[in-house]
Amino acid sequence: MGVRPALSGLLLCGTLLAAGCASPGFSMRSVAAETPAADNAAAIKREQQLQAEQAAAAQASQTTAQKRELGPPITAADVPSMTTYDPWERMNRFTYRFNARFDEAIFLPVANQYRRLPSPVQSGFHNFFFNLTEVVSVINYIVQLRPGPGAHSLGRFVINSTLGIGGLFDVAARMHLPPARTGLGATLARWGVHPGPYLVIPIFSPSTLREGFGFVSDYATAYLINFPPVYRGTVGWVLTPIALIDARANVSFRYYSTDSPFEYSTVRFLYVRKTLIEDDRLRLWHRGAPDAFTPAGR
Amino acid sequence: MKVSGALCALSALLAALPAVAEPIVGLADSAALRATVLGTPPQEIAPLPARVPLNEIDITLPWARQPRPAVFWFAKQLRAWVSPQRGPAPLAIVISGTGADGNTEKLSLLRAVLYGAGYHVLTMPSPTFPGFIAAASSTGVAGDLLQDSHDLYAAVGEILGHLPARIRITEIDILGYSLGGANAAVIKSIDSTERRLKLPIHRAVMINPPVSLFSSMSRLDQLFTASIGPGDQGFEELYRRIYVRLANFYRVSDAVRIEDTDLFAAAAAVLRTDNDFAAAIALTFRLALMNVFFAGDLYAGTGVVTDPRHPPSPGDSTDSIERRLRDMPFSEYFDRVFAPYYLSHRPGATRASLIAESRLEIIGDALRSDRDYYAQTNADDVILNQPELDWLRNTMNDRIAVYEHGGHLGNLGERQQVTDMLAMLGGRWPEARR
Repeated sequence: MGVRPALSGLLLCGTLLAAGCASPGFSMRSVAAETPAADNAAAIKREQQLQAEQAAAAQASQTTAQKRELGPPITAADVPSMTTYDPWERMNRFTYRFNARFDEAIFLPVANQYRRLPSPVQSGFHNFFFNLTEVVSVINYIVQLRPGPGAHSLGRFVINSTLGIGGLFDVAARMHLPPARTGLGATLARWGVHPGPYLVIPIFSPSTLREGFGFVSDYATAYLINFPPVYRGTVGWVLTPIALIDARANVSFRYYSTDSPFEYSTVRFLYVRKTLIEDDRLRLWHRGAPDAFTPAGR
Repeated sequence: MKVSGALCALSALLAALPAVAEPIVGLADSAALRATVLGTPPQEIAPLPARVPLNEIDITLPWARQPRPAVFWFAKQLRAWVSPQRGPAPLAIVISGTGADGNTEKLSLLRAVLYGAGYHVLTMPSPTFPGFIAAASSTGVAGDLLQDSHDLYAAVGEILGHLPARIRITEIDILGYSLGGANAAVIKSIDSTERRLKLPIHRAVMINPPVSLFSSMSRLDQLFTASIGPGDQGFEELYRRIYVRLANFYRVSDAVRIEDTDLFAAAAAVLRTDNDFAAAIALTFRLALMNVFFAGDLYAGTGVVTDPRHPPSPGDSTDSIERRLRDMPFSEYFDRVFAPYYLSHRPGATRASLIAESRLEIIGDALRSDRDYYAQTNADDVILNQPELDWLRNTMNDRIAVYEHGGHLGNLGERQQVTDMLAMLGGRWPEARR
């Protein structure tokens, strides 16, 4: 049962790859068209929204009560070293290189073809797969002892699975319940687990030991509970590659678009700092701050 | 500098941050520094088309210097981007700025306005982009205006020779921003003698070009020293300062999440003082220089940061190399890599002659007499000093538009800049301005 879908997947990949035009030493392939007018209109809108939200946030942050709840601000003494803990650097660099090659040869060309699908089809797939992750989010929010966000994700799952026709439409977002995904990585961070050493996961990249463990565990949890029952059997074999392609198509990162010999260390530096700053936000809860969960504006 | 859409949006947040009084760095005024980092506000961008088709080109260039260092395993082919019109149309070749690739946000903006104006658009990386150095440079040692432009011209020729016949080109024009502007003008000058393209390059527009690469880079080094300081200590202090602000900012603000944008863009939201903005500009150029320095050192075998006998392999850590390069200004690159290489490969060359050859003056006669060269710049451009701005004005005469504000490329895509640029490319300048 498992081989046939895999073969058909390979055939699909081959057909899609053949869609470009190439001669020895030269290739020219069509990629997703740019939409500058809509992008700029979105930038204007985003700027206006941010201005309004920022003004509200600035006002709120000035209240004495909130300042007390947030605890002492981060100072230079709290800043992590510029050097990233990367004891597996040689292996990580090898994996990064493998990922770059895999991405360029297979993942990205397929994702580019996927991006050519009509927009409603793409968003249908994307919404469907995102809806599946709500189950894991609910479980993690419970383990994080955050009933509010848990109810939020549960509400989204129920609404989108019913009114959204099995999750194909994000009806909940239109009802002011925007997506707010979480996972075991965030759960561990909430309970004070350090990110650990930097880790490049094959195909996915980049991560840390904690985030990598969380990622694998979240998938294992979903597979074990198999609810909705789409993770196993033929359905699972068909949907998993599409979910991967959908995930890739929704990430703009491209390996070596910088062509810099220092890309590995730059990505590592930025990723780990981003993780640590997000961790600080999650741990505020320990210090008696209000739940940092506010999906508004997302 | 790469300024993402998210960064533009985040620029609005700066209005909400308290102004911090601090002496300005002295090399540029406050508005120029801010404009350079934040770019044109989206509300002031010229009308853009709804859809721009895009094709990625990968090409192998036989003259690329071999052997290619192992750490550049990913850059065997040069990458460029083309947006073709359906019918016959003029082609606009657009060249990126210092250290940048052929698909930056700035290029994307220029591509959109040019495509909207009816051009086929080919966007090319800068010859100082590491991917270009590894896949298209005949020397591997970037920074020579004429040599780099020769390599770029040859690469354009190869690409145009391979384009499918359905892309029907009626005329070729060339433009570029920052260092790419100087490259564009030099390429037109080369083309006027070599004529290796199917059609001659008609018009060239330089947007915020340097007048002297050496002088502009030295100016940016001064900006680095003034705003960040020498040694790793200054760099570390800057990192701590930005990290503290970012972390505290995200504690109190739910309006923005880091995952919505990238960390560089997020950092722009917490820049406050002139010193911060100056540091952001200086750092961007220093990061570009690090790539050029590293590649040049490897290709030239000068052994400044790499051991020529044991060059780094793709699995090796580059941390110590990066730490050393962070503290090395352009003058170090020039004196320890660039000059040794070119002095040994160019008979009769001297240090002074190499500096002179980094000036736009090498095509000064053409710029003065040929009415198909144009320029756009800003009176407060960070990379120019007053004598250089005067030189540009005097040289280009009535074929230059100098805007009062905008810093370095801080008004790219703005309505007037685009109107003027299109008038220049269409041969309607300066009549269109009157």
